[in-house]
Amino acid sequence: MLEEALAEIRAAASLEALQEIKVRFLGKKGRLTQAFKAMKGLDPEERKARGQELNRIKQAIEKALEEREAEIRAAELRARLEREREDVSLPGLALPPGGYHVSTQILDELVDIFRRMGYQAVTGPEAEDEFHNFDALNIPPHHPARDMWDTFWLEDGQLLRTHTSPMQVRYMEAHTPPFQIVVPGKVYRHEATDATHEAMFHQLEGLAVGEGITLAHLKGALLTMARALYGENARVRLQPSFFPFVEPGVEFLVWWTDPRTGEGRWLELGGAGMVHPSVFQAADDAREKAGLPRVYGNVTGFAFGLGVERIAMLRYGIPDIRYFYSNRLAFLRQFPRP
Amino acid sequence: MNVPYSWLREFLPDLPEPEAVREVLDALGLAVEEVHRLPAPPKGVVFGRALKAEEIPGTELKKLEVDVGREVVTLVSGAQGARADIGLAVARPGVVLPEGTEVAAREIRGVTSEGMALSPAELGVGEYAGGLLELPADALEPGRELAEVWPEEVVFELELTPNRADAFSVLGVARDLAAKLELELVEPAIEVEESPVARFVTVEVADPEGCDRYLARYAGGLEIGPSPLEAQRKLLAAGLRPINNVVDATNYTLWELGGPLHAFDLEEVKEGIVVRRAKAGEKIVTLDGEERRLTPDDLVIARRTAGGTEPVAVAGVMGAANSEVTERTREVVLEAAHFDPVRVRLTARRLGLSTDSSYRFERGVDPNLPPRAASRFLHLLQRWTGCTVGDVVVDVGGEKPRREVPYRPSYANRLLGTAFDAGSQLAALARLGCEVAGQGEPYTVRPPTWRVDLNIEEDLVEEVGRILGYEHVPTEPLALIPAPDNLNAEEPYRREEDLRRAMRGLGGWEVINYTWQSPAYLSLTRAPEPRRFLKNPMDSSKNALRTALYPGLLENLAVNREEPHRFFFELGHVFLDVEETRLAAVLGGPLLEAAWQPAYGEGYPAVKGVLEALAARAGARVEVRPQPHQPLHPGVSGTVFWNDEPRGFIGRLHPEVEEALELGPVHLFELVLPLPEAERTFRDLPKFPPARRDLAVVVPEGVPHAEILDLVRRFGGPYLESVELFDVYRGRPLAEGQKSLAYHLTFRHPERTLTDAEVDGEMGRIVTAVLEAGYKIRE
Repeated sequence: MLEEALAEIRAAASLEALQEIKVRFLGKKGRLTQAFKAMKGLDPEERKARGQELNRIKQAIEKALEEREAEIRAAELRARLEREREDVSLPGLALPPGGYHVSTQILDELVDIFRRMGYQAVTGPEAEDEFHNFDALNIPPHHPARDMWDTFWLEDGQLLRTHTSPMQVRYMEAHTPPFQIVVPGKVYRHEATDATHEAMFHQLEGLAVGEGITLAHLKGALLTMARALYGENARVRLQPSFFPFVEPGVEFLVWWTDPRTGEGRWLELGGAGMVHPSVFQAADDAREKAGLPRVYGNVTGFAFGLGVERIAMLRYGIPDIRYFYSNRLAFLRQFPRP
Repeated sequence: MNVPYSWLREFLPDLPEPEAVREVLDALGLAVEEVHRLPAPPKGVVFGRALKAEEIPGTELKKLEVDVGREVVTLVSGAQGARADIGLAVARPGVVLPEGTEVAAREIRGVTSEGMALSPAELGVGEYAGGLLELPADALEPGRELAEVWPEEVVFELELTPNRADAFSVLGVARDLAAKLELELVEPAIEVEESPVARFVTVEVADPEGCDRYLARYAGGLEIGPSPLEAQRKLLAAGLRPINNVVDATNYTLWELGGPLHAFDLEEVKEGIVVRRAKAGEKIVTLDGEERRLTPDDLVIARRTAGGTEPVAVAGVMGAANSEVTERTREVVLEAAHFDPVRVRLTARRLGLSTDSSYRFERGVDPNLPPRAASRFLHLLQRWTGCTVGDVVVDVGGEKPRREVPYRPSYANRLLGTAFDAGSQLAALARLGCEVAGQGEPYTVRPPTWRVDLNIEEDLVEEVGRILGYEHVPTEPLALIPAPDNLNAEEPYRREEDLRRAMRGLGGWEVINYTWQSPAYLSLTRAPEPRRFLKNPMDSSKNALRTALYPGLLENLAVNREEPHRFFFELGHVFLDVEETRLAAVLGGPLLEAAWQPAYGEGYPAVKGVLEALAARAGARVEVRPQPHQPLHPGVSGTVFWNDEPRGFIGRLHPEVEEALELGPVHLFELVLPLPEAERTFRDLPKFPPARRDLAVVVPEGVPHAEILDLVRRFGGPYLESVELFDVYRGRPLAEGQKSLAYHLTFRHPERTLTDAEVDGEMGRIVTAVLEAGYKIRE
């Protein structure tokens, strides 16, 4: 019986076959179980010997079953693993990666730098009135300074803001000093477009107002920005310039090394200066009109503004600003950010 | 403004080398746009004296006999000014011109031209290419190498800011350099030899507001001809075109001192001059040959005539042809005046005529300059031509006093963050021409009248900073504690950033589109009618401010037609009756794709999924109720309720638009920001097991899921925790036009386990409600 069972176990090809063999020999009505039952009629001596023999057989069958089961399981696993093999070099399912427009990225980066210095980011309308875009910023009608901003006028007498500076007055109308804000946003210039000029672009405006604020604080803020953008060795230079809403007015330059050529040069990054007294006055006048107290009589402040696209163009070597709003994915996806 | 280095050096003998000057100019705020290096005339170009000129019959050409020293050569020239008795720049065969051509002898109409008479542009010494360099006949010995007396030049092209009216002149730039570098400034010579004159003009200023100073002077015994070589050299280097000695002397003085002048032929204005408003519709032919219609806002210079007065110049802008200096002029009236800046600007704008004169007047000319500018003009003209200068000075209006500005050096330091001592601050102001008085703060500073931009203390602070140098401004950190009302100022922007970040995380590409659109395209894409229009669009068809974001996003889909993933979003402003900030997204294909695999996530469920994920991130409830929207397919269109408020629309683009733009199926949503936020309170974690039941409702095809959801929620009792749609079935055994919506319902009591009987009771109420609403339950 043992030989027979072992032969069958060796031949079993599946776990089911093995189970059938197990039942046939070891089950309730199995042959071995029958053989145990048949011992009843034997005398004690014989029964003992027979019992021992049958137990040996049972153990041998059980062991063989176990071994065979392990073999079969291993074979099945091997087969399954083979079956489930995949070509891992195939391309993956294309998940949409998503990304920010490069102008947004630079703005975010700048906003982030100034937040670390305690500034808050605020925004304002793009269709502006003449008062906030010009008059309140000490740019009266018929003044040649208006030629500095080629303007898109709207038929209703408003205009598309030519800079983010209108938010200086808008913010002061509604808030009290001290404060530090930055204003990211779209601005518009009525200019023929070419590789370096766009009729629409982005600016970041900054304004800090409080008691005892000086041009040295402006320089400190700009230097911090320059270092965050261009590394800890960045340098900043102020050069006299003219923007009607600041006095003194300066242009700020940053020593910049072209990552492609390794050559350095002073880069005009934007305009800045100390807030002109007439801007504070315009804000206070507007507050008074709205029934709010005058709060800008005893403060000083600085303001600055810079263009966003230019920073991107220099950083990445983008040759033509007109690419920015073509919104071709071939352009957009070149500026990944984790 | 082009400033030749050699001209500056006339006033500043100790001026450093051009490279150093460039840096100082930048540091002064007189930004150097470019430094041009003009070469001397090419080697071999000599001075020639035209002895004879005759026309070559049947042509516009002239045959010139020119004395070039050792010989007389024949030259052929087509230039208008080619004539006898002038000096010319002559290149003989073999001379190589700056742009590379080699001059050769040529036969023209049977006449051999043994070289060329050159224009300033051909010489490389100026831009003027429309005629010859015409010099006085006796300017040099014939045959003299021109380069020996015409050195190379460095020209600073300055990009001046509009406040620095004073710097629109060589002397103004020299003054700034002198103040900064502490150099000696040699003022331009103005002395003249005066003699009595037989006749002159009277001047009446009828509009003193438009003209607060009018000065007239006399020069006579004139012979109109070319200016001296050195004067022409400087004018050309500055970018001006030499015309004749009188006109050149006005331009020279304008460029040098910043004071516009105008010379009339005395014969044409001898009855007298009136400065008055133009009459409505009055006409004048300006020097450029244009007839211009004037209005009473324009100021004119008029001459008296038998019948009244007649304009001879648009004040401060341009003279008229009827009184200009011509070859026959022997006596001139020189006008040196000061006009109202705004009036000049408005007139120049209305006439579309910006001249060197109007440009300076509108920015602000020194009101006390006229006598000095007139003297400088007369000095130059007398030196150049030996003319007589009349001893009469007609001068209407007087000197303007200087303004007084109180000045505190301590305030300058408080504004600049510097430690400049008072002495050096006051000295800097004095070097700029300010008069400084007083023993202590506040000092009284009287800025010179040419500095029309110095009006308040801060203006003087800037001057001190400019002259002493911003490199002395230290770098300081600013730490301030904002006033409380500022603390949450950036909340709206933060929420925009959050949305942008979420959209990017979901796989959208952010785009930024133009704010303007064409009304036709907005109409084609079924966007709202535009409300606001540009008065001066760049592209006349795109003159409307956009009324929605999605039309731009559709253009982005089109331009990226070849791309597999076309999932774009934009956060920007649209312009309806009010300006709104919006967020829109379009999906022009599946969310997930691999070319060798089936696409996943297409159509409406995909765009809805994006919206729902966005809401889930924001912790907001979002629901879409079927409702037609103009841009959308009427059968796939809904209103987005964000925390129960309608905030936008979602659906499939209207098939007409899809076809018109040749796009496949497009799904999109557009939301108006800011999105309302919901109160968020913590719900304790569930402690007791839920009870689950399923419910399938059979409804006609047109009944939306949202309606059943509402019904179930309304009658589900207080312990209905969630309702989740798990199947939508159509087909047998359901009747045609019917569908089955199947839901998992979860009930839970916060404090105990619900019994089956309780849950059955709740289900019973729901079933009753469904049946009462006229729908069937599918068992």
